[in-house]
Amino acid sequence: MATETSLQKRETPLAQTEPVRSGPIYIPAVDIVEKDDSLLLFADMPGVRAEDLDIKYERGTLTLYGKVEPRQDAQKTTYWLKEYGVGDFCRTFEVGEGIDAAKITAEFKDGVLTVHLPKAQELMPRKITVKTG
Amino acid sequence: MNLIPWRQKRRREQSGLRPASPLARLHDEMQALFDRFAELTAGWPTDFPLAGAPLLPMNVAETSSHVTVTLELPGVDPADVDISVTGDLLTVRGEKKLDREEKKQDYHLVERRFGSFERTVRLPSTVNPDRIDATFKNGVLTISIEKRSDVAARKIKVRNA
Repeated sequence: MATETSLQKRETPLAQTEPVRSGPIYIPAVDIVEKDDSLLLFADMPGVRAEDLDIKYERGTLTLYGKVEPRQDAQKTTYWLKEYGVGDFCRTFEVGEGIDAAKITAEFKDGVLTVHLPKAQELMPRKITVKTG
Repeated sequence: MNLIPWRQKRRREQSGLRPASPLARLHDEMQALFDRFAELTAGWPTDFPLAGAPLLPMNVAETSSHVTVTLELPGVDPADVDISVTGDLLTVRGEKKLDREEKKQDYHLVERRFGSFERTVRLPSTVNPDRIDATFKNGVLTISIEKRSDVAARKIKVRNA
């Protein structure tokens, strides 16, 4: 069911949303879970410091950006194994109108960003009490 | 990729002759197949695992003083990571536990992976396995192994017997 509380992946080029730094930009792996009163977004962003996170909400678009510093001095390092690349993380989502944008909060721990997107009051399930006359 | 010695290939191209024997023709067809595959994949990024990606990607870097192994373990509790050295084998194992209770939930997107992981790497003889330091910060595990100081190149004198 496509409700207004949906959180859609955006297929627009990443470069549009952020000033581009040199080097590759990676798309973080994300889980989105719907709870009764909110949507929870989990993004794996290893190597990002909390102060280097930039989370923006603008006209229905949520942008997650994490700056990643190089782990080694490339000049003085020889790589034997390079199975993953290191670079900034960026991903954007379209947030439905059923989300109370003013109340979006985020926390970051051990390389995992958690974004809480509370549902708008009017979309919350309500229990209607039946009055007896 | 090239299965035919270069000189031979040139000669054949120049002459424009097709080899007579069926076996040689099969050889040529196989060669063309390999060439086409090489052409097709020429622009593909080499640092991108196309298939059979290891469960736990690992970078190993060497500087003048250390060998550094880094692994990305976002959301992993450092207490759940076990690092051991047996002989010259360095093993990292652990478990990434689900960071939320799973009940009555509606998943919109599931991309992150959970579960146990294990990875072993052979250390070179130039490092000292007794001098290992491991740190965990912002989801990145860094294992730093000091290189032995006695491995610098030595000159060996040849004496007259």
